[in-house]
Amino acid sequence: MSRPANALAFVSTLCALALCALAPAAAGAAQIARISAAFTPERLGAATTVSFGFRIAAPGGTPAPLRGIELAYPPNLGFATSGLGVAACPLEVLEALGPAACPPDSRMGYGSAHVEIPISAHPVEESVTLALVAGPSTDGYLHLLVYASGSTPVIAEVVLSGVLLPGRIDIVVPPIPSLPEAPYVAVTQMRLTLGGDLTYYETVGGASVAYRPPGVGLPRGCPRRGFRFAATFAFIDGTRSKASTSVACPHRR
Amino acid sequence: MRPARAIGFAAAAALTLAASCLLLAPGAGAHDARRPVSAHAASVLNVRDEGHLRFVHASGSAILDEGAVSGTVPGSVRVRFVYDGAPDVSAQFTITAHGGSISARGTGVLSSPTSASPSFRGRLSVTGGSGRYAHIHGGGELYGVYNRRSYGLTVQAIAKLSY
Repeated sequence: MSRPANALAFVSTLCALALCALAPAAAGAAQIARISAAFTPERLGAATTVSFGFRIAAPGGTPAPLRGIELAYPPNLGFATSGLGVAACPLEVLEALGPAACPPDSRMGYGSAHVEIPISAHPVEESVTLALVAGPSTDGYLHLLVYASGSTPVIAEVVLSGVLLPGRIDIVVPPIPSLPEAPYVAVTQMRLTLGGDLTYYETVGGASVAYRPPGVGLPRGCPRRGFRFAATFAFIDGTRSKASTSVACPHRR
Repeated sequence: MRPARAIGFAAAAALTLAASCLLLAPGAGAHDARRPVSAHAASVLNVRDEGHLRFVHASGSAILDEGAVSGTVPGSVRVRFVYDGAPDVSAQFTITAHGGSISARGTGVLSSPTSASPSFRGRLSVTGGSGRYAHIHGGGELYGVYNRRSYGLTVQAIAKLSY
């Protein structure tokens, strides 16, 4: 074999190796999502808090930034009849002043998240706290606003918007800038709880009286295979990932 | 109730006439002719009822309320109200009145869902009845307020019903 031929073979081998090496990376572009859901307490026919969580991973790297989440929930769960969010927090107020400036009766839940900023071979991680409030409705549907705030290493506040549809919650995640010239922030974990330790106020006889909103109503019957949740995650690179889980039927008490 | 009686008399006359026509019609078969013909005088109810209902229990997105209803057909009412997040709400209810009951189904559109007491308005149609309302039919308008704190309902029905 002549030298040019040898060189050509060498280059071809390198290209093949490079392609092989790229294959997992290309596969890694598709994000892998896992979700979890829980009721606390687990009692059929009673009000409960509903927790929903997810993890997103991309083999060999940071997942692509999230663009949106469609969470399908059992349609007979009483999200709309939960009594959560009996006041609305204007988006401008939330963006400018944070959830503390929202009416107490607009609070619907809380949560946490982990994000990654892929600025080097070792992406920077950040913990984020979440506050859920009811947003104004112009279309008759219940709207949710998720206020996300992180402080270290990047100080950032972002508002995610969502809408409660029958059997589904759609959440739009805006592109979250990180550092100048750096890619958008990637959400790798999130946990949201609807309900919980909330205090609302009502006027009784001219006086403001505190009360706890009951929470999401569970139906009196349980589907045979439990309460099924499914989520579709849309990413900024155009890919989608799906995941599902079930909450086993609680014991009757 | 004079206008209602007058309408009832006219309706009874019309029914009798219609039955006679059917029996005398050349196309009427022997089988049809042997069938016993029953007719009753129809009465018309212009219903305007209102109820303030209290929460009994819930099952997910369905709420069961009951309470007293006052107006044209006074009695008690039991309502199954379904609100699943869409602005379209539905209600199935039964009014138990003196001499019988009326069952109906209503659908409406909820406004201001993030307020403490969103209101809704829509249509109702009667699905059945019992006793003196066994043959009731018709429909009308449904108005209501849903209290998201107490799960109580205030409903008003305005309907024109025949029975």
